[in-house]
Amino acid sequence: MVDGLATTIIVIALLLAGFSGLMALLARPPGLVHLLGLTVVETALLAQAVVAIGKMFSGDRPETMTTFVGYLLTAVLIPPLAALLGVAERTRWGSALIAAACLVVPVMVVRLQQVWG
Amino acid sequence: MPAGTRLRAARSTGAGPGRLLVAVYAFFALAAGARAGWQLTTRWDEAPVAYLLSALAAAIYLVAAVGLARGGPVARRVAAGCCTVELTGVLAVGTASLVWPGGFGHATVWSGYGIGYGFVPLVLPVLGLLWLRRTRPDRSPGNFPNQVNHVQ
Repeated sequence: MVDGLATTIIVIALLLAGFSGLMALLARPPGLVHLLGLTVVETALLAQAVVAIGKMFSGDRPETMTTFVGYLLTAVLIPPLAALLGVAERTRWGSALIAAACLVVPVMVVRLQQVWG
Repeated sequence: MPAGTRLRAARSTGAGPGRLLVAVYAFFALAAGARAGWQLTTRWDEAPVAYLLSALAAAIYLVAAVGLARGGPVARRVAAGCCTVELTGVLAVGTASLVWPGGFGHATVWSGYGIGYGFVPLVLPVLGLLWLRRTRPDRSPGNFPNQVNHVQ
């Protein structure tokens, strides 16, 4: 896998998690910054997915294909779902929800790295 | 607290903190379910009991998520039942996995009190029960699913 890209995703997701958590503590609903942040995370995750799929087609395969593709798909789905749910909940809990989603993304990326082997 | 606030709160198990709770429950249903499904289909022979337990946990998470999201009197009771089963399960399996290491063959969602999932399986049912208690429509003491509450 691409270590640089994975690290970038983890750092951005954790920054957004910290920001969203702070906004939740300050009782602020999700705003434009949250959505922009989630867009950046999603773009990076899509880039990672494209690179990973490209690598798989060029013969470099993860040890357990199904698990890897499962994590890849789940990771890509998290930011859009978090944005939808976060916007639906226009209270501090919307921010908390986005923070929680942003904490799941690094876990998924780390699991992806491990599964790739 | 005015009765109106109580009534409105009673209907909204799926809003506010509840929406976060529903999201986490749904994610755990997906995560544990996908993993158990994959384990059951590809490596059934290795540890069927552990994988079936994980699949059961995933099914309970899914029912709890739907129950909390819907939030009617029946849905609340179903959600409370799920949370109780989860809490019992995570405590029982967690203790069993410590007393009897390797007893299940492989790790389950509830092994080591959910340590493989950041202890979320231990915290989730407690938060679920607290949230159901907080949003319950009546003020009578006790909030157990098998207890007959007065007519709502």
